Amino acid sequence: MAAPALELRGITKRFPGVVANDAVDLTVRAGDIHAVVGENGAGKTTLMSILYGLFPPDEGEILVGGERVRFGSALDAIRAGMGMVHQAFRLFPTLSVADNVVYRAEPTRGVLMDRAAALRSVAELAERYELAVDPEALVETQPVGVLQRVEILKALYRDARILILDEPTAVLTPQERDRLFTVIRRLRDSGRTILFITHKLGEVMAVSDRVTVLRNGRSVAGLVTAETSPEEITRHMTGRSVDLNRRAAPHRPGDPVLAVAGLEVTGEHGRTAVDDAAFTVRSGEILGVAGVAGNGQTELIEAIAGLREAAAGSVTLGGADITRAEVADRRRAGLAFVPEDRHRVGTSHLASVSDNLLLGHHRHPDRQRRGWFKLRNVRAHARRLIETFGIKAGALNNPVSTLSGGNLQKVVVAREMSHEAPLLIAEQPTRGLDIAAIEYIHGRLVSFRDEGGAVLLVSAELSEILALSTRILVMFEGRIAAELDPAAVTEPDIGLYMTGAYLEREKGGAPGGRKGGQDG
Amino acid sequence: MDRTDRLDRLAQGVRQIWANPAVFPFVFAFSVGLAVVLLTGGNPFFAYQEMFVGAVTGSGLRNTLDQAVPIIGMALAVSAAFRAGVINLGGEGQMVLGGLAGALVAIYMPGPGALVVPLAMAAGMVTGMLWAMLPALGQTRLRLPILITSLLLNYVARSITGYLVRFPFLDDSVTLTSTEKIPEAARIPKMPLFGGVSLSLVLVLLLGGLAWLVYKRTVVGYETQMAGLNGSFARYGGIGVERQTVGVMAVAGAVGGLIGTHLIIGSAYRFIDGELVVSGLAWTGLLVSLLAANRPGFILAAGLLFAGLQIGGQSMQRNAGVSWRLAQVLQAVVIVAVASRLALGRRRRKGRRSAEAEIEPAHVGEV
Amino acid sequence: MFDQLFDGALVDSVMRAMIPILLAALGGMICDRAGVFQISLEGMMLAGAFAAVAGSYLAAASGLGVLFAVVAGAAVSLVLAFGAVSRKGDPIVLGIAVNLLMLGMTGFLLPQIFGVRGVFAHPRIDGLDRFAIPGLSDIPLLGPALFDNTIIAYLSLPLTAALWVFLFRTPMGLRLRGVGERPQAAESLGVSPTVYKYWAVVSSGVLAGLAGAQLALGNVVQFAENMSSGRGWIAVVAVMLGRAHPVGVLGASLLFAFSEGLGFRLQGNGLPVQITDALPFAVTLIALIAARKRFARLLDLTTAG
Repeated sequence: MAAPALELRGITKRFPGVVANDAVDLTVRAGDIHAVVGENGAGKTTLMSILYGLFPPDEGEILVGGERVRFGSALDAIRAGMGMVHQAFRLFPTLSVADNVVYRAEPTRGVLMDRAAALRSVAELAERYELAVDPEALVETQPVGVLQRVEILKALYRDARILILDEPTAVLTPQERDRLFTVIRRLRDSGRTILFITHKLGEVMAVSDRVTVLRNGRSVAGLVTAETSPEEITRHMTGRSVDLNRRAAPHRPGDPVLAVAGLEVTGEHGRTAVDDAAFTVRSGEILGVAGVAGNGQTELIEAIAGLREAAAGSVTLGGADITRAEVADRRRAGLAFVPEDRHRVGTSHLASVSDNLLLGHHRHPDRQRRGWFKLRNVRAHARRLIETFGIKAGALNNPVSTLSGGNLQKVVVAREMSHEAPLLIAEQPTRGLDIAAIEYIHGRLVSFRDEGGAVLLVSAELSEILALSTRILVMFEGRIAAELDPAAVTEPDIGLYMTGAYLEREKGGAPGGRKGGQDG
Repeated sequence: MDRTDRLDRLAQGVRQIWANPAVFPFVFAFSVGLAVVLLTGGNPFFAYQEMFVGAVTGSGLRNTLDQAVPIIGMALAVSAAFRAGVINLGGEGQMVLGGLAGALVAIYMPGPGALVVPLAMAAGMVTGMLWAMLPALGQTRLRLPILITSLLLNYVARSITGYLVRFPFLDDSVTLTSTEKIPEAARIPKMPLFGGVSLSLVLVLLLGGLAWLVYKRTVVGYETQMAGLNGSFARYGGIGVERQTVGVMAVAGAVGGLIGTHLIIGSAYRFIDGELVVSGLAWTGLLVSLLAANRPGFILAAGLLFAGLQIGGQSMQRNAGVSWRLAQVLQAVVIVAVASRLALGRRRRKGRRSAEAEIEPAHVGEV
Repeated sequence: MFDQLFDGALVDSVMRAMIPILLAALGGMICDRAGVFQISLEGMMLAGAFAAVAGSYLAAASGLGVLFAVVAGAAVSLVLAFGAVSRKGDPIVLGIAVNLLMLGMTGFLLPQIFGVRGVFAHPRIDGLDRFAIPGLSDIPLLGPALFDNTIIAYLSLPLTAALWVFLFRTPMGLRLRGVGERPQAAESLGVSPTVYKYWAVVSSGVLAGLAGAQLALGNVVQFAENMSSGRGWIAVVAVMLGRAHPVGVLGASLLFAFSEGLGFRLQGNGLPVQITDALPFAVTLIALIAARKRFARLLDLTTAG
């Protein structure tokens, strides 16, 4: 029997306070699509970084094609035939597609770069694997789907025999995802080995030949996909079964809280990011906004939250026009906001837990008088939030950066919910969290709704949108492409709107909803 | 047995102090200074001894306290901005222009000292404040980085004061390029302490206390701190960062102008062209603020220390023949060491590959 | 009036003013491209000027002076490289500290080594010779300034072109730009950001050292305390205005040099020196306002807490 394409034996990696990988074993047969699954924090990314030479393991060994290798840097890994498509793309925005692909392996003529040769080989490669790209285009102008192709081309240009894809579908629509799977199969059929990292079971079942499950840094199971089931994999992943069922409540929306009309927002480089958006969020409902990242959701939310100027249209909160109001006034008018980037926007990692829990309502009369803090109340407020939300934090004065990701997000959610604001905007509220934290935050959002709050939820996770929303808006290229009833649609249906495919099918009648974003 | 034990413990104690991140930069700086003095043919031990003795004995203590006034003052001024994340390098210009404005009021305004001195101070403060608001508005309105504009304006301020002193306000009875002398009545009085320390010392101590209170206890202190630590977070939380930028620059400029005024009507008694610039006090204050990480209590301590280095340095120059500029070298090296996070013992743990921090940010482990 | 101003002497003083700014700015440009915020040009230039005079005095030969200047600039740059790249310290704090350190250090060494204060001039200090290129140097107006100049001046313009080729036409240049833009991406392809950043910073030290040598052995033959007098900061602005592009940097340096040269000339025409001294800084500020839309990135860099 031929040696496996890749074998890991007893890989262990420790970080201060955490064992990220604990004696992980992994055997990947040549020519397989091999999925590695596990929850967030199970150690997948650490393992892949070790495989790609980004840092060395503390213990254990790596064998490629039966030979022991030792990666001192990514370069060693590349030379051993490894190629990696990172979850967060590692591309140079202002360089061309071709420059990105040939970087560090540039064709030369004398001391100069041979730019013609670079363009030629990238075009050839793209054609051979049906990965359509424009080699001369600047990366920053290209959509996400193309960027992923560029990443794959980078690996192929270096003739990677083993291709590692880290959560490759996170940024794709269901349709783009299917295209990617076709590419992956084609690569396998051309004799390459694919290592596919994911936490989505559907994808594992759809594309992989074999599966390795990681849990808490250990490899707990090695399975043949055809002989297993999603339930079995789930059991290995979590040690229990998960309930991500829909929690749409009895639909009893109250009065409108947020009304957006004719909103137009200008994004980066002066392009129109949001075009004529109009919708209403009522108390007692969760309005989900679906869409592929970069279709105007961020700009829409920023305009409502006051972090970006509205070019036209109006935003009304609780009857007051806040279109041009400052952030502080919007918050006073009743806006709470869980932002997408909890590390850079939602928290201040050098500031203390207490200071992080205070922002936004630090001018509340309960906490200050004439500009002087009532320190006792401030501390009591922080303690109350920590207790109510079960935040695992040490002393109040510890910097918030000492908290884990889930606790950090709880800090943000606790702070924003404690405003008792009628409107809560939640942007990607569970991204990167493990299942326990996701369930907790979903539960909080639902009870906020049940207590009569209005929630505007933006998420790239369709399952999250479907599970929580009372109504769903789909954004495509800055416009609200559809308003859908979650009870009547499926993920692929939403995907059609996310890609704009409905535009072609419109006349035949799109499934599950009606065109236009007006509130009913 | 007992002895070696104690020796061990002593050695360990020494190592701990030595490896302390607050101490090591000084050890490092004095070592650099030692090497430099040795290499230029001086006797570093004698020099350091003279430096220490000169800073605290005889008139040294008084001079150190006097020198600490502008250093602490300028450090407090710059810390107001730094703390809010506003990089104000224009302290020098704010101080110099404020100083001239204060001097002119003191010279040309008739009336009793009790009226003229406060008015001169007010004039210095307003001038420094307006000058500092130029780069602030440049940043908030025109998106020009304060870091660059405030620094460039220092050179413009030098020229403006140079021109004013040389032409309209020149005292041609002396060979100096200088204004007239500040009348006795319009000077800041001395306190009967160590033979006459300027009353301004009380002023900067009060300023330090006020800063401490504001930073620790008030909404404004909190909001500026949040803006300094993370501007996006502050904006998201409803803090008017732009308006605040103008505000802290105004405060920094006002304090800078006040200190400039003190330097003329409380210390030099004449505005001599270029003298405030050459003294480098604004920059020493800036280094103190960096060293103290903008904390008022530490600013007082670090300000005294740096003042002592400079006064001691002058005595070292007189008695040991080693230029007082060594003090400037020591001060700058301390900051380099602090900014480079130089400390023994921590080096190994911290010197890891950068990739780690990026790969597993916070979501390793449980919730 | 204009005939009196625009003559060969003006071109000459513009050229004198430009070379140091251009050299330092080219160094700043390389750092900017590598993603290192370099504001210690002023200090490195001053160190270069002092070392140039010291070396030239010791050997009575300008060549050694230039060598000293280059070594001094590079050595000082390592302080920033170590602190900002290896130790991930704040480049702004380090830059300020390095500038003050060099101001103090040169001020300290001047009396300690040469026993003088303020200014050190001595017949033993060998200034940089000006080489006339036969024929070209006879061109009216421009000839004497451009083609009767020091070796450093002759080097600076071709160097600008060479850096353009390096940045945009060589593999190393591509990698450097990549490192500056997305260090993680470069690292994932096996390019070490640390190595590139170090070389970039050291190159800027070499170039700022050369700028100091031109200042102290070319424009004059002496060392004066704080003789860089803000030129390093103007070079920082030149990098910004020129968007870290060789042609832009050259243009910006020329603009500032022109205002300095013009100020120098106007001074001859009786304008107070205090006003003409401020001219380059005022022009710099005005140019910043005119081109303000360009530096959102720097603003983010310098205002992020």
